[in-house]
Amino acid sequence: MLKSMIYKEWLKIRWFLIGAAILGLFIIAYMFMNVQRSITFQGANAVWYNILFLNKMIFGIMKYVPLLIGIGIGVAQYFPETVNKRIKLTFHLPLFENRALMMMLSVGMICLLLTYLLHFMVFWMLSNYYFAHEITVASLITITPWFLSGLAAYFLVGLIVLEPVWKYRILYAFAAAMFVPLYLKSGMIGAYGPINIPLALLTVLISVSLLFSAYRFRKGEM
Amino acid sequence: MKNLSRYNLIVISIISLSVILPWIYWLSFEKPIPKPFVMYSCVDDCFMIRGSENGKSYRMNEHGEMFTREEFEQKLPLLNIRQLMISRTLPDSIKGVEMDPHVVNKARSFYRYKPSTKNAPKPGLYPMFESESGRAKLEMPEDFFRINSRMEFIDADRNKINEAKTALFTGALQHFGFKFPAKMIEGIPTTRKSCDEGYFVVDNADQVFHVKMEQGQPYVQQVEIPKGLIFKHIGCVDFRNKLFYCYLIGHDHNIYIITQDDYYLKRLPVDEFNPENQQLRIYSDLFNYNVIALAEDFMKVTVLDDNMEKVDVFYKSWKKRSERPEGKVFSYLFPLQLNLVDENNAFINFYFHLTKGFNWIILHIVLLGSHFLIIRKRKAKLKNHIVDFGIVLVSGLFGFLAVNIFPNKLND
Amino acid sequence: MNNVIECNNLTHYYGQKLVYENLNIHVKEGSILGLLGKNGAGKTTTINILNGFLQPRSGECLIYGENTQKLPPETKGRIGFLIEGHIQYAFMDIHQIEKFYSGFYPNWNNEPYWELMSKLKVTPSQKISTMSCGQRSQVALGLILAQDPDLLILDDFSMGLDPGYRRLFIDYLRAYAKSENKTIFTTSHIISDMERLIDDVLIMDYNRVLAQCPVHEFMQNFKQFNFTLLNGGVDLSKEKFVSNLEKVNNEVELYTYESEEFVKKFLDDNGVEMKDFKKIDMNLEDAFIGLTGKY
Repeated sequence: MLKSMIYKEWLKIRWFLIGAAILGLFIIAYMFMNVQRSITFQGANAVWYNILFLNKMIFGIMKYVPLLIGIGIGVAQYFPETVNKRIKLTFHLPLFENRALMMMLSVGMICLLLTYLLHFMVFWMLSNYYFAHEITVASLITITPWFLSGLAAYFLVGLIVLEPVWKYRILYAFAAAMFVPLYLKSGMIGAYGPINIPLALLTVLISVSLLFSAYRFRKGEM
Repeated sequence: MKNLSRYNLIVISIISLSVILPWIYWLSFEKPIPKPFVMYSCVDDCFMIRGSENGKSYRMNEHGEMFTREEFEQKLPLLNIRQLMISRTLPDSIKGVEMDPHVVNKARSFYRYKPSTKNAPKPGLYPMFESESGRAKLEMPEDFFRINSRMEFIDADRNKINEAKTALFTGALQHFGFKFPAKMIEGIPTTRKSCDEGYFVVDNADQVFHVKMEQGQPYVQQVEIPKGLIFKHIGCVDFRNKLFYCYLIGHDHNIYIITQDDYYLKRLPVDEFNPENQQLRIYSDLFNYNVIALAEDFMKVTVLDDNMEKVDVFYKSWKKRSERPEGKVFSYLFPLQLNLVDENNAFINFYFHLTKGFNWIILHIVLLGSHFLIIRKRKAKLKNHIVDFGIVLVSGLFGFLAVNIFPNKLND
Repeated sequence: MNNVIECNNLTHYYGQKLVYENLNIHVKEGSILGLLGKNGAGKTTTINILNGFLQPRSGECLIYGENTQKLPPETKGRIGFLIEGHIQYAFMDIHQIEKFYSGFYPNWNNEPYWELMSKLKVTPSQKISTMSCGQRSQVALGLILAQDPDLLILDDFSMGLDPGYRRLFIDYLRAYAKSENKTIFTTSHIISDMERLIDDVLIMDYNRVLAQCPVHEFMQNFKQFNFTLLNGGVDLSKEKFVSNLEKVNNEVELYTYESEEFVKKFLDDNGVEMKDFKKIDMNLEDAFIGLTGKY
């Protein structure tokens, strides 16, 4: 059953996921091509200095990329379930409904996490090649909430898309629009250090959000 | 599970709302707090105050005597020397000292400290400039150093450690009894300064060292400090008169300086400066140091003479934001405010500010009643909504909105 | 025989609007029940309650003795469900969808599925979303047959189908159900289809049940009499024995469960003057319209 469920979710998100993974890699490659160019033109010490003391974010272009990937995968995965209320088919499978939902959620979440992990690792490796670990660590601390924002957005898209009543969809979208910016507050490089763990915990809290709107669907809210 | 997911959503909504609603409130209703500009006049030997009240600006001295702009400027000739020269009202001499603009400017300095300077992510890597290059301009070195178990120099171009230089400097520090790793490294890491004086480094045993590089060789000097004194912050300065290297703020809430060349640690006769929530501004001129401690609700200006002996103190307080009308209204609306950024901290974090008192309880009870009516209108069983009532009672507007964005219709 | 479906005292409202009150439905094992009703009479509501997609205001529905609000997986596995409009995962092709569902049902038998698919003129990688209504209905039906459920719930299976396809679908389904002792609960807005398919009929009108009995019994007992009134002022529609009455000028269509003798006697006894009295033969559609009215 799990295999079938993975299969279905994969069919829905595969092209978007592969596209997003490649796009992310291109963006990271582009950032480090810029770094290479700056090093060639200004010297490595100037590039390091700009990051360390002038707070220049070479990776700023990445800020909204994980968010867009998270939203995209959420839509690619959950939207087809709401067309003609197809989610009924999922609920009718010989599984407990919450279990079926958790399977869907886990597949999407793991695919998303693997994509992020790929981007994170490639970023880490390239940063390690060009920079001392102080810069790399501060950079990773800075980009971590951006990845968390994508994960949070993915969970909230599930909640919003599966909600059966439009009025509440809009209210949820408001709530999401208030919450997600908490991950994207601008600050100095490395300033997100103390808040990353609380943000990660909040992300875990909302991971099961879609159970709420799915339950409303099952009980015939309209 | 569905209830759990709902309460989780309510929690994140309350968190978001307690950031956003107070933010919108202050954005709409906050009024500036007029903090006066205060400086000691070397002409009258008293404090001059410039400020505004009820939208009208005033210039006066500490005794309440009012002045015009021109008169005011003449009371502070060293601050306004260019203006007085233009208007030809600069006296030839003050206190027997000839008013030579070069001399006046050389003695002038300004230092500024904010708690968010100290409470900020530190770079961890620093450029070690050549202090005696024989060149007029400072040059950015090719490498950066860190001090962990040794003093490592990392060549930026190759991203590799320069082992020879590392061994040289590590050896020099060890020779002076430096305890690795460093707790604090402070300097002026820019080429835009008059000359380089390297770094002041606090080691793991809270000893203070001056470390710089002269002709490629390490220069290390330990600063003698009283036992038990720990520094919270060191602010290096590059003043023209080259009297001291830095201002230091101790755990004991005192302000110190380290004098140039003889490394004498001198305490300034200024009381109680808290570096966690007060800003510090130090203006110096030919005759005085104006040490200004600025807190949320008061300012204290301590005037020192050119030997850094206390001359006079000026103190003025005002109402905090929470005690002003807009703050009072706030206290009727919100039980707390959540911020991601803080004036005194450059780190992003959840900063909770609980509202003093219980004025908000009135609104909370009104909202509780409203929620009661909503549930009644839905003909739902009240006992299935007890948790929601609790949420509304405790978190007020935040919770009221949250439980209605995610209504508990499942358990009607 | 056991009841496969048992709905007891179902009451449901949408907001303040009553859908029905104290509805009772029983479907015996091996029987085929057709739920008939006009649009908005509560057919889809009933199907949704049966599938656990709607919580009734009160009352309960049991399938194989389990409350439909909390059907355990094993019971869900015994139910084949055709959603109105033959909804399926349209982003899959016919191979992908077979592969997907086969993982869920231990008795999965893909033979009937592929047999039906072989008759469709679709390419192997053609997405279901690009197929015609008829083709989609065959996919949805094929999947249900491959699932081999004991109970089939079919919501408006005839929607969008050509007459030929409908006939094929119905004949195939009835033969299959009768040979394998399957139970079927179905709705359709095309009544003439039902006549060939169902054993029992349940006719709903806005917030009440008009008839619930074996279809042959209904067809036998429910009658239509036409006559022409000579005195236009008579109003029979309030009489107890009259199920429905349509009157255009003085031409009357009277629907009743009573016998021809009873009606004639009643008219006589009450001094109603009329002519051209005749009993009309009805098919199920006529009877349905006769019972529920044209409007």
